[in-house]
Amino acid sequence: MHPPHRLEIRGLTKRFGKVEAVTDLTFDVEPGRVTGFLGPNGSGKTTTLRMLLGLVAPDGGTARIGGRRYRDLPEPARTVGAALEASNFHPARTGRDHLRVYADMLGVPTARVEEALALTGITDAAHRRAGGYSTGMRQRLNLATALLGDPPVLVLDEPTNGLDPEGIAWLRGLLRRLAGEGRMVLVASHVLSEAERLVDDVVVMRRGRLLATGPLAALTADGIGLEAAFLRLTGAAA
Amino acid sequence: MNRLVRAELRRLFSTPLWRWGPPVALLSGGALTAMAVLVGPEHFDPPMPGIGTEAGVRLVLSLIGLTVLAPALFGALAVTSEYRHRTITYTFLFAPRRHRVLAAKLAAYALAGTGYGLIVAGSAAAALYGAASVRGVAIGASPETVAGILASLAAAMAAYTVIGVGVGALLRDQTATLAVLGAYLYMVEHLLALIPGVGAVYPFLPGGATAALTQASLMGEAAVEVSGSAAHLLPPLVGAAVLLAYALLAAAAAVLLPMRRDVT
Ligand SMILES: Nc1ncnc2c1ncn2[C@@H]1O[C@H](COP(=O)(O)OP(=O)(O)OP(=O)(O)O)[C@@H](O)[C@H]1O
Ligand SMILES: [Mg+2]
Repeated sequence: MHPPHRLEIRGLTKRFGKVEAVTDLTFDVEPGRVTGFLGPNGSGKTTTLRMLLGLVAPDGGTARIGGRRYRDLPEPARTVGAALEASNFHPARTGRDHLRVYADMLGVPTARVEEALALTGITDAAHRRAGGYSTGMRQRLNLATALLGDPPVLVLDEPTNGLDPEGIAWLRGLLRRLAGEGRMVLVASHVLSEAERLVDDVVVMRRGRLLATGPLAALTADGIGLEAAFLRLTGAAA
Repeated sequence: MNRLVRAELRRLFSTPLWRWGPPVALLSGGALTAMAVLVGPEHFDPPMPGIGTEAGVRLVLSLIGLTVLAPALFGALAVTSEYRHRTITYTFLFAPRRHRVLAAKLAAYALAGTGYGLIVAGSAAAALYGAASVRGVAIGASPETVAGILASLAAAMAAYTVIGVGVGALLRDQTATLAVLGAYLYMVEHLLALIPGVGAVYPFLPGGATAALTQASLMGEAAVEVSGSAAHLLPPLVGAAVLLAYALLAAAAAVLLPMRRDVT
């Protein structure tokens, strides 16, 4: 694994026509912690992650990982492992072949594919076509794809969507462990009750702008839950 | 081999679609040629030179040039299927310098298109000589001439595969690409060939350049019927060069276009 990386978002801005999806967003994410990237539906989380990953070109601002833009990283997919929506698979390709294609792109041996399958608990389904996967299995295959390059930075968009309670508990353990190894784990979610049990730090967005950032403990210091703290924040901002 | 090219080949061979390639190639080369030889161009309506003449052999083999939609569609799917199934997200994540992905697709599909072309050419050769001996007709073209025509048709299949990759990268939408390629290759180009005056550009269009490879085209013959004059085809080598230029143009489009578009 590469040395730990910091993530620096500076003044990130993106409009889709009239929609101001993300406006002047600035925050940092530290390695060795699980950071929750929170906000209501449509607040700009996914757009921010896509800009960070070079999939969407920002109208302004920068997103740097270890001081570089994603596309300028010497080995992008070995530095950042990303899992976006729940279906980025060809329905007729098996889970194993999906991973093998990307293992080829990375130049890692197929043994790494088996490791990623085992790590995410989908070895038994790997020979089946991804079109027949349940939502939870797709999530796991997404995660396996993200982990292929053994990256020091993990970026996950709504990774608990479609997971059963057991799966969520398993994911929590996995992300804890990965952060414990010094990796940066950034998890976008709109489900605050789940995020509360998963994250160390929070970055909260609302309507494309940063609302709050810091350790979860500070945000919920006066004994209120994250949901109440969030509603208070959004209420105060309204 | 470059790891991106290897990934593209694995991508191609890890869904069942490619299995259609060999049978379609056998139909486009072997079956079509066998049928044309067995019927005999002299029994076409209007009658055309038989395969006892070189013109007849060229005409029969030129029919293969009408099947280029198949490799073009196959090439287009290289890109459109990635957008359709959103695998493009991962693909660009694993290779954020997008032109490299497209270059790898072009290389992989040029290889696959060559394989397709070789099946087309090989089966057409077998069908030509086999069907002629069944009919007991001597072939009016030397084996060298036949080999030259078939080799250039095989190369044309590879070129159309590359053109397909380029058009797919340009349009991205699967249905739109299929519609545009089909309409262009089977309607627009043929209509242009039939319009007097406008027909003058036909030899420089992909279809005209393909016809130049065999120095024969059914469309050209039909144009004579309709308008009384046919556009003169380019010499075979110039036709090949024009086709190559289209393939390079499509390849350049494929490499340059996806660079800055948002993937959402
Ligand atoms: N390709 C696009 N074209 C037009 N508008 C878009 C596009 N992508 C996102 N948007 C808009 O940008 C805004 C932010 O969307 P985004 O997907 O980033 O939100 P989100 O925080 O991830 O929401 P959710 O919790 O529902 O996933 C929304 O108003 C959305 O409609
Ligand atoms: Mg989202």
